[in-house]
Amino acid sequence: MRKFESVATASRPIPLSFILLAAVGVHLPLLLMQLPLKSYDTNFHIFFASHYVHHWFNPWNAKWFAGFSQTTYPPLPQQWVAIVSWVLGLNMAYMAVQFAAILLLVVGVYRFSMLWVSPRAASFAALASVLLSSECFLVYSAGQLSTTAAAPIYLNALPYFYDWIRYGKWRSFLKAVVLFTAAAAAHHATLIFGSMLFALPVIVLALMDRKDDENSSASALVMRTVMIVLLVGAAIAVVLLPFWIGLIRYPITQTPIPHPSRANYILSPQWGVNYFIVPYGALILALPFIILRGAKVVRLRPLLLGFWVTFMIGLGGTTPVARVLLGRAFEVLTFERFSYWATLLALPILGLLVAELVDRFRMRAIVPLTLLASLSCALAVAWSTFRPADAANFKVDSVAQWLNRDGHDNYRYITLGFGNKLSRLAIMTDASSVDGESNSSRMLPELTRYGGAALTSAKYFAKPGLDSLRAMLAHSDRYGLKWVIVRDPYYEPLLYFAGWRKVDELDDKTITVWGKDGVPPATPMNASQMPPHWQGVMWGTLPFGSSLLAILVVLIPEKRRRGWQDEDPSTTPEDLNSGRMIS
Amino acid sequence: MLIGLALAAVSMAPAQSVHMSLPPSVTAGSAFSIPTAGSGKAVLYIVGQGQAIRRDVQMGEATMFPAGALYNAGEYLAILVNGASTESAGFYVSPAPQPETLGFLAKPSRLPVGIRGGISGAVYVFDTYHNLITTPLPVSLELANASGTMQSHTITTRNGVAWTTMDSAAKEGPAKFVARIAGVSSTRVIDQVPGDPCGLTITARPNNGKVTVQTAPVHDCSGNPIPDGTIVTFTETYNDQQSTVDVPIKQGIARVDMPAYPGAKISVASGVVAGNEIRWGGGK
Amino acid sequence: MNKGNLLALVLAAATVVLVAVGTVWPVKAAVFYAGGGKEGLLRPSSTPEEAVENLGTQIRLLAWEKAYESLSNKAEFTEPEFLHDLTGYALSLRTYATLDSFEVQPLHQSATDAEMRMKLRWSTVVGTFQDTRDLRVVKSGDHWAVDWPLVKEQHVPPQVIPVNYLRWDVIYRGAGDDWGSQDVEAPHVRIIDMHPVNRAEGVVVMGELLNEDVVPAFVSVRATLLAKNGSPLASEGSFDMISHTLLPKQVTPFVIRFPDVDLSQVGSIRMQPLSVLVSASADPVIEVQDQKFNPAPGASLTGQLSNQSGQVVNIAHVLSTFYDKNGQLVWVGGQYIDRALQPQTPVAFHIAIPEDLAKKITNQRTVVATYSSGSSL
Repeated sequence: MRKFESVATASRPIPLSFILLAAVGVHLPLLLMQLPLKSYDTNFHIFFASHYVHHWFNPWNAKWFAGFSQTTYPPLPQQWVAIVSWVLGLNMAYMAVQFAAILLLVVGVYRFSMLWVSPRAASFAALASVLLSSECFLVYSAGQLSTTAAAPIYLNALPYFYDWIRYGKWRSFLKAVVLFTAAAAAHHATLIFGSMLFALPVIVLALMDRKDDENSSASALVMRTVMIVLLVGAAIAVVLLPFWIGLIRYPITQTPIPHPSRANYILSPQWGVNYFIVPYGALILALPFIILRGAKVVRLRPLLLGFWVTFMIGLGGTTPVARVLLGRAFEVLTFERFSYWATLLALPILGLLVAELVDRFRMRAIVPLTLLASLSCALAVAWSTFRPADAANFKVDSVAQWLNRDGHDNYRYITLGFGNKLSRLAIMTDASSVDGESNSSRMLPELTRYGGAALTSAKYFAKPGLDSLRAMLAHSDRYGLKWVIVRDPYYEPLLYFAGWRKVDELDDKTITVWGKDGVPPATPMNASQMPPHWQGVMWGTLPFGSSLLAILVVLIPEKRRRGWQDEDPSTTPEDLNSGRMIS
Repeated sequence: MLIGLALAAVSMAPAQSVHMSLPPSVTAGSAFSIPTAGSGKAVLYIVGQGQAIRRDVQMGEATMFPAGALYNAGEYLAILVNGASTESAGFYVSPAPQPETLGFLAKPSRLPVGIRGGISGAVYVFDTYHNLITTPLPVSLELANASGTMQSHTITTRNGVAWTTMDSAAKEGPAKFVARIAGVSSTRVIDQVPGDPCGLTITARPNNGKVTVQTAPVHDCSGNPIPDGTIVTFTETYNDQQSTVDVPIKQGIARVDMPAYPGAKISVASGVVAGNEIRWGGGK
Repeated sequence: MNKGNLLALVLAAATVVLVAVGTVWPVKAAVFYAGGGKEGLLRPSSTPEEAVENLGTQIRLLAWEKAYESLSNKAEFTEPEFLHDLTGYALSLRTYATLDSFEVQPLHQSATDAEMRMKLRWSTVVGTFQDTRDLRVVKSGDHWAVDWPLVKEQHVPPQVIPVNYLRWDVIYRGAGDDWGSQDVEAPHVRIIDMHPVNRAEGVVVMGELLNEDVVPAFVSVRATLLAKNGSPLASEGSFDMISHTLLPKQVTPFVIRFPDVDLSQVGSIRMQPLSVLVSASADPVIEVQDQKFNPAPGASLTGQLSNQSGQVVNIAHVLSTFYDKNGQLVWVGGQYIDRALQPQTPVAFHIAIPEDLAKKITNQRTVVATYSSGSSL
């Protein structure tokens, strides 16, 4: 009797509240330490948010690229940061929104995993998501708020999506549509690729599960799928209309910018560590099991295939898969997010492995598994310190003060050697720059023609980056570009020979300000790209509104769902009997 | 806002009999009064060039304005508001007749010697309150060179401004350019600098397998020494090859060591002025 | 084998195969990050070309140790000497240059040795420069190794050089000064020559600018092309094709390029010289020695720069103006010097001249703009 109780207790899922508490315990201290501020993109998101703070209904931001539209990037997480910043300030607001996304991921992984595996395995998958190294890598090293916010919303939408196409529940239909739309408002790439990599396995699963459900014919499932796809497509088209208009009017034709996630991780092992070892962590050890178990359990095969394709794409240039499947998009996309999605797809099967190991070996499994997961998480968190986005952490306050005084902000500026502090400076100064960090928002030919990213990091892009910088300096009069703020003496010879003079020194001479005589004051530019007022109103209303609607709709109580727990025989491995799973 | 109120009051005011007597002209900064007739209390507004004054007045008495109350020259409007009735009239505040300061623009601050009409001076005459005095006044302009020579012009201001041109001297050095009027003066310094080099000549002598080429002391055509730092270009041509070097003048001469090639031609130039040419090993 | 095992096997095998394919035939982006350009990746040095290409790839990857170890004559010099040969002994353009691409040309080959010409194109902050090395490649066992022709720079012995150079400093008008008081006058500069030419890449406006003042000037020139109806066609500046600091009576050439504009469209040209009074020093003095005009084919001006001062010049920019027999301006060319100019140590330069213009050239004038690191405001 005692033994039975013990087995029964051990076979129960870990309560979601406990998993959420674990997420709080792991991530809250790290976020309170504002660790993501060291990452590559965090300041970029905060810069966008700072614009929404002051100009909620006007997406035209004059501070970068001599003026650009923020409709070039889905706004939802940044708008939430803007809203929360009224209470917490911009930095902590970012941390709060990121924290919410992390908690949402726990719930999303749990609910998504429940489609595929037992609640107990799903709970282990959710617990694994707390320490998931790819998540930690994106949050603390890459600073990809939008990706890490959109994926959880998307994962939460998928079970409703399944319920709709399998059972035709209108309540689920409504929730799925609203959540998908909110996910798209958070990050467009997640929706575009997620629909293929996440939703297709779910559709196949629904078709496979249909055998046991006499009320659903295959044609009905297909009809429902088509219906929801059309409606979600229409909703996203409306909610992100200014984004699509911008994309159609100004398609991305710029010269591709190199990104090391497109490297071959064997030929370039340093990038292999960065984009494979760190994001996958100890999950690499589980890959054989994921393949084996995913292949053996018929019901898991769609998930396995989804994982495998995503995994292969996430390997960037290590295989030809990404290049072949994505075509020219291969030169535009970065692949760390595919690795992130791959790990999310692997989590249900990983949860199964963990559940089996824990059930079989108890503490002898729990201790090493916890250790491995913690080490993976720790490595990914610490990666921003081992390989920081900027070699030097420095403050830009003095530069912002300099730009904001004596009419210096009547002219445009660029920085050289500022890395991602470029965004931080843009938040603090009133002056406008011709540079910026949002590659897809760039329209100036000097920036798009050569294949360099931000001018501030021109030297890291070798000839293309320096050609771009030279072209911009040569046309400084055109843009009212009078100031170049230098933190890397590497660039000084170019400025000297190109007719710029050192006019000031800041921060104990670590930063120098160079000026050019005869440059006319900056005038508003790129007016043709300025979105009309109605687009600004849409941009300020619909994406954020979609998230509010999603919150409201999700609160509608759900009837007890169909359950994996109803001992669906299709989850039993071909060569295993069901008793073995709990033996 | 006061101006707007005043104008609105004027525009709405019905024709009234005159209750205040305005002075025909007031000098900027001087005391004056505005007598009124009638009884009761009223409010007097004075609105003009960057100034507006409000006073509560007792009708029938004169309202005193102390010295310095109105200090900007120009047209003013006085508006007397007595209950529902309003009356207004204009008067002129003229600049004080006594000059107090001079605005003196002298151009350029630096020019070569011997330029006719190269120096211009414009004088603006102001009173104590920095009003431009528009009544004609004689202004004396003097340009005194370091050598003691002086050019002097006396010009009468027109609409408050007088201007003239002067010649730069043949001798280099700073010149004092003084504008003076009724005990008030303003001084500028004009730097007269040497012109282009004149009669640039070089000599050469052997020096440890090289040839040292140097100029004679470099002067302009007026005999002024060309300042140190001025670039002199030496060019040596030999066997279809050439060596050039831009050398700054130091202590009046430019000197350089160049390769010694027998038969080489060495020439000198500074800016657009060419000097002599010598042949090394072949005599001058 | 059941279906599950088969699927697992297929996926595992496909993964291995795809990774192998991606590694053996990497995509362009992967080649780029692996240090290869269009020349490809590292492979066994089984031919002289492959040995030189491998060396180039290692230099591109900044793998100095591996590059040095691969040399056949490494006993003749140390690794730091090899590194200094490539990156310069003193701070110069070479110091932070990255190898953008390289080209290998066989000159001669026998069974045991070969001669190869390697053209290294380095990318620097001011543009690219080319470094050509003729290499001897020798067979050693089953592979080939490069005999590196080390270029040793002359070292200036430690010494004290007294200097007595001129310097101008400027005190500008203060904020509290009377409005009528003068500020220091901007230097007077004058365009003494201007000549537009039509080239394949567009219109090129060349000319010469003289500082006719007695104070140093910081100058630049802007040109606006006006159409025949007077409307502006394009406006560009001289950028780095001018010596910006002009001492009194100094002349600089300038070049302003208008890509994609044809001279037939141009009615007139508006020139705008700009000058600002700046603090400056009369040093360093650079002598341009042994200038030799080499006619077509391969028309060029060659010569040497000699630093007559005690101060190291980290980067020098040579600008040459070429004239025809009537003294008319024909062309302006320039070259950045990739090695630092040590005192009294000549460094060669080479300015290419368009073949079609070379035959008109009878004379030239060369000026040198210099940059020394750590200069104050």
